[in-house]
Amino acid sequence: MKKIIIVLSISMLFFGNSITAQDSKTGKTQFMVRGYGHAGLDYLKTESGTSLSYVGSSFAPIFLFKQGDRFIFETELEFVLQKNQLEIGLEYANLGYIINKYVMVRAGKFLLPFGTFMERLHPAWINRLSTKPLGFGHDGIAPASGIGIELRGAAPIGGSTINYSVYSTNGPQLKIGDDEPDEVGMLNFDNYIDNNNNKAIGGRIGFLPFFNSSMEVGVSYYTGKVGDKGSEYEDVKASLWAFDFSYVKQVSPLKGILDIKAQYNLNNVSDAYYTVNNDARDTSAVYTFTNSSNAYYAQLTYRPLMVGNAFLKNLELIGRYSQLNTPEGSLWESDINEATIGLNYWITWRQVVKVNYSFINSRGGHDAEDASLQKSNAFFVHWAIGF
Amino acid sequence: MKKLLVIGTMIISLSSIVFLTGSCSSQRELAAQKSGAQLWADNCLRCHNLPSPAAYNDVEWETIGLHMKERANMTTEQIEKIVSFIQTAN
Ligand code: HEC
Repeated sequence: MKKIIIVLSISMLFFGNSITAQDSKTGKTQFMVRGYGHAGLDYLKTESGTSLSYVGSSFAPIFLFKQGDRFIFETELEFVLQKNQLEIGLEYANLGYIINKYVMVRAGKFLLPFGTFMERLHPAWINRLSTKPLGFGHDGIAPASGIGIELRGAAPIGGSTINYSVYSTNGPQLKIGDDEPDEVGMLNFDNYIDNNNNKAIGGRIGFLPFFNSSMEVGVSYYTGKVGDKGSEYEDVKASLWAFDFSYVKQVSPLKGILDIKAQYNLNNVSDAYYTVNNDARDTSAVYTFTNSSNAYYAQLTYRPLMVGNAFLKNLELIGRYSQLNTPEGSLWESDINEATIGLNYWITWRQVVKVNYSFINSRGGHDAEDASLQKSNAFFVHWAIGF
Repeated sequence: MKKLLVIGTMIISLSSIVFLTGSCSSQRELAAQKSGAQLWADNCLRCHNLPSPAAYNDVEWETIGLHMKERANMTTEQIEKIVSFIQTAN
């Protein structure tokens, strides 16, 4: 409770300051509070039953703090209810400084430019669908953020543009079954205290070949040792790849905007032997497997923005397919695919009502009882706002 | 691994074709001449809907400009042109 009061009073301070920033004489320092939230209804039908519940109760305020023309501090908090308990997360908090036209440095906790989904597309008012593609988020294989330092920037080359980010972070941590024995060999990306002296390094190069910047392809790589220092896993290394694609263009014959987004992720963790204890039976077993996972999604969006009808203009159609494969032979082996279709209505450029339906096929996963194919369906109605 | 190589090679070859055909000097000049309005229309809808200049006041746009320069990896020149355009259009 105390924590909440402190956070609220800090936000009041920020709100107070943002009013002064709007005065006609502008100072060198500017504050802004931005953010987003969503609410909705989720329906899930699996082979073992159905569930229907209202969701929401999440609030993500973003504080931006600009000093002069070159310095920015950005932070996002996330307030969510987890089983009736309020949890507060620090999504990111970093300082940024523009070194020159082409280079900017950032330090602190930042969203990782590993592919594009987590850094650019995940906020509820940006993501066209109510859910993240498979492989992102909880139990995902793609990292979302890290603590460290980064250089980023862009440069025009001919009619094309190249952008880049290179960074070093504390890196992910290898799960060895201390908390959840079923998860041995998984990577924990929410590890912000370094478990070894090895720093992870990574980067992304994005290329916008066309003069009108309509298309971007990107390649990302992130690598580091992930085992605890001094343990038998000390030399276990993870290498993560991501390839992303984006194409957004107003297409006159279609009287609208076509938006294609895709990302492919591949994780490889070097071989290791994991000991899994079964306390109930007082036994233990040693496992090893080829620790390689992959996930991808491809999404197509069409919005008839150029038609005359004011209602139709704000409608949007979406289709997304995504797939996740986790290592064969691991205790969390799974093979999941999901096809989602959606119809959105945009109330403003940052406020949307999303109606989505998903078809999910899954085999395995560490919550599954056996490896048989499970079919489930989900229906979501979400109302999201960015402010 | 094979899949990875195939995808990698595809991206590199595609990029180099476009790069080689696209980097003539007249285009370079054109790129430098791109107006703020053009840059705004080309870039500010790549991740989210195109924001209306009227959505924020001039001071707020400066802060947002810096935030988006960082988030969208844009050059200082590009973002300065965009922010000036927005400030005259709102
Ligand atoms: C590379 C993707 C990307 C591009 C390109 C982009 N934005 Fe954004 N924009 C974002 C993301 C992501 C957010 C949400 C920030 C967050 O939640 O941390 C955002 C948020 C915003 C906001 C809300 C206020 C804020 O700062 O959070 C405004 C306004 C905005 N963008 C304007 C623009 C303008 C103007 C442009 C063109 C210069 C632009 N954006 C280009 C990704 C992008």
